Amino acid sequence: MSAPQIPNLLASRGGPRSRGGRGRGRGGGSTHTTQNRKDLDIQSTDTDAAVSRLSAVSLGYINDPYAAYFVNGAGTRRLPIINRGTYTRTTALDILINAFLSESNDTPPQKRQIISLGAGTDTRYFRLRAQNKHRNLIYHEFDFPTVCTTKSRIVSSNEALSKGDGNATMFVEPTKPTEPDSDPEPEWGFRARDGESETIYCCHPLDLRRLPYSPSMKELNSFHGIQSDIPTLLISECCLCYLEVDNARDVVKWFANRIPSLGIILYEPIGVDSPFGQMMVANLAARNITMPTVKVYKNLRDQKDRLSEMGFTDSDGGQGGETIERIWDQWVSSEEKERVDSLEGLDEVEEWQMLARHYAVVWGWRGSSGWESWKELL
Amino acid sequence: MSDLDRYKLHPATFLELKLRMNYQHRAIAQLRACRPIPEAQVRELCHKARELLIEEGNVVTVTAPVTICGDIHGQFHDLMELFRVGGDVPDTNYLFMGDFVDRGFYSLESFLLLLCLKVRYPDRMTLIRGNHESRQITTVYGFYDECLRKYGSANVWRYCCEVFDYLALGAIVLGASTSLGESKGLMPEKSSSTQPDDEGIEIELLNHTGGVIDRFPRGQARNGARSSPSTKSSSSPAAKTGPPGTAASGYSRGSVGNTSGAVLCVHGGLSPLIDGIDKIRLLDRKQEVPHDGAMCDLLWSDPDEIDGWGLSPRGAGFLFGADIVKVFNHANDLSMIARAHQLVMEGFKEMFDNSIVTVWSAPNYCYRCGNIAAILELSEDGSGESMLARSNGEVNRSDGGVMKPSDRVLLAGPARRYRVFQAAPQDSRGMPAKKPVADYFL
Ligand SMILES: C[S@@+](CC[C@H](N)C(=O)[O-])C[C@H]1O[C@@H](n2cnc3c(N)ncnc32)[C@H](O)[C@@H]1O
Repeated sequence: MSAPQIPNLLASRGGPRSRGGRGRGRGGGSTHTTQNRKDLDIQSTDTDAAVSRLSAVSLGYINDPYAAYFVNGAGTRRLPIINRGTYTRTTALDILINAFLSESNDTPPQKRQIISLGAGTDTRYFRLRAQNKHRNLIYHEFDFPTVCTTKSRIVSSNEALSKGDGNATMFVEPTKPTEPDSDPEPEWGFRARDGESETIYCCHPLDLRRLPYSPSMKELNSFHGIQSDIPTLLISECCLCYLEVDNARDVVKWFANRIPSLGIILYEPIGVDSPFGQMMVANLAARNITMPTVKVYKNLRDQKDRLSEMGFTDSDGGQGGETIERIWDQWVSSEEKERVDSLEGLDEVEEWQMLARHYAVVWGWRGSSGWESWKELL
Repeated sequence: MSDLDRYKLHPATFLELKLRMNYQHRAIAQLRACRPIPEAQVRELCHKARELLIEEGNVVTVTAPVTICGDIHGQFHDLMELFRVGGDVPDTNYLFMGDFVDRGFYSLESFLLLLCLKVRYPDRMTLIRGNHESRQITTVYGFYDECLRKYGSANVWRYCCEVFDYLALGAIVLGASTSLGESKGLMPEKSSSTQPDDEGIEIELLNHTGGVIDRFPRGQARNGARSSPSTKSSSSPAAKTGPPGTAASGYSRGSVGNTSGAVLCVHGGLSPLIDGIDKIRLLDRKQEVPHDGAMCDLLWSDPDEIDGWGLSPRGAGFLFGADIVKVFNHANDLSMIARAHQLVMEGFKEMFDNSIVTVWSAPNYCYRCGNIAAILELSEDGSGESMLARSNGEVNRSDGGVMKPSDRVLLAGPARRYRVFQAAPQDSRGMPAKKPVADYFL
């Protein structure tokens, strides 16, 4: 209801680069214009996510001083149920990610890696950095080139984002000329200023749909700074749901085939067979957005089976999954619930339950070490 | 006989009245087309409405036949559908149980139309207050923003809020029949006379064209709640209340064709501070909805499968169980409570051995929930009681001759005709095609 007033950040900042020739080789789309149109619509979902995040931040649901940089203007106030959902989803991922990172207390510190698929203008890296949780962590983000370029521009023009803890410098890595079909935008990120000047954060412009099938991306080292030998967490916070089912699976498998100690968090809608779910599909279709995976993975069971199919099984690791409704009920302490409830009040209880029942967080891992704290979460 | 003669009016007064009627007529026509009326007219309308509402008691007495409606929430096109299905005003008498505004795109048009109809046909329209008819809630849930957007200032919002403060807190429906009668709503063609006669039917479920979906004879209907066409199977959660005929409730419902016990209509539900309807009458209602207390509870509480009272997850009002409802109904000679406030996917839901029903009248709520909507028709009994004028004041029902003390435990529930309907087609909503219709987590 509020989204229409929000200018499309990406469309307005992407400039002429977002047009012309971009459809090339993208997802096998032969009708370039429709495909481009659709891609733009999918990219625009990041604006929704960023505006929702800022709404929740402005009202005190979550603490994120960086959210405002990624929204044009003052943003829009979202409904209480949406704010609570943003809060719950962020909290769920915080809990899982903090558990993953908390193991780096061991000596010598174990390096860890996070790869966020379709990260958009997510601020998680900056939040981790502010909490000093970024030591011994390499953080990667993937998204469409236009989205990455926008993010690069916003980060480099705001000191709070680009300066960091003072120990890092921003870099821009020109695209390797050996890849004729690669996207022209450079990878960019932060590199430690001291010591070996290692990459600590990197944003990779890529249409993920191409990843599993492109001959030029056979190796992990096609991407700047990704390591194969450290515990790595793959995150898809509402990203893989926009890919075709097989394509999404192949993207995960691409990483799984190259990184032995791997965990994954998926956050996406479920339950499309209910009247609410059917309405959701229809409403999103009116925005030219389709979510192929929700039609196949209809409930938590399906989502967990999906993880098993991709190799995150109980025998090689473990898996878990909850709906957002359950996460709010079970994971959020009663004091915290009271605090959050007091921010706006929430009249629409039935609607909240229905909405929250239609989103799920599932997670899984495989590999012998590095996932102990996730085991404890179960 | 002309109006002039009938009412013995002075010609000048009569002319003025006529002009007023015309102007009201125009406002109604404009609002029916979903076009806002000018600010000055809103001001006058709200002023008139207040004059009218101030005369009403906290609990309005309404005489059947009446069609009871739940939340509307600014879904103007669905309100039009409701009138199409239930019959137009003034042919059908309506009782709206609050939550006219917030959430939908057309809170303003919806509320002003209802208000115009109230002013034009005061005895045929009853509006009671919902928890969204509040300054605080409307600033969060959209009505305030909508007024700003449509008028460029908060004046209209302020006028409406002043009206909210005067809305009644509840209504008592008297003279509802224990058997189904004629209705001004859409009815199936007479040819389909294969239906058993109306006598003995306690609940009838009709679709949006008036076609019969289901009918439940008295006695069988007490097999717990009836709700949708889809959940009326034995697996219905309401079947919890017991197999047919075993529901031991202390009520032995009267025979067919009589006046039923009264029906209390309130937006939310009961309050631990209120044990009798007379207590509601004593409240000072002309204020913003308070954060707690009896008035707040009436607008915020929900029935729930618990014993006694419980804390509400909404942060205002309480949860109340079957025992509370039964004691209250018994003590107040009620056969039933009708309330709104909670989204019900099937449009309505009877609970606690049919002692309370939730009616929800906003289909596909927020353009997102995929639910159907319902309205509840109560027919007039044939006994002539319904000739009792509709009274706005503090009617003491036992004095009204509606029932004798000895009847108390013998009051039958009214025959209920539920009409369910779906959202008006998307393209009739007049929404720009590009607008996303609802927020999701993306
Ligand atoms: C709803 S946003 C979520 C952003 C972020 N993960 C968050 O939760 O705030 C989805 C993101 O996935 C990205 N995305 C979708 N399909 C993609 C693809 N094929 N390749 C790269 N990014 C994609 C979109 O550009 C968008 O930024």
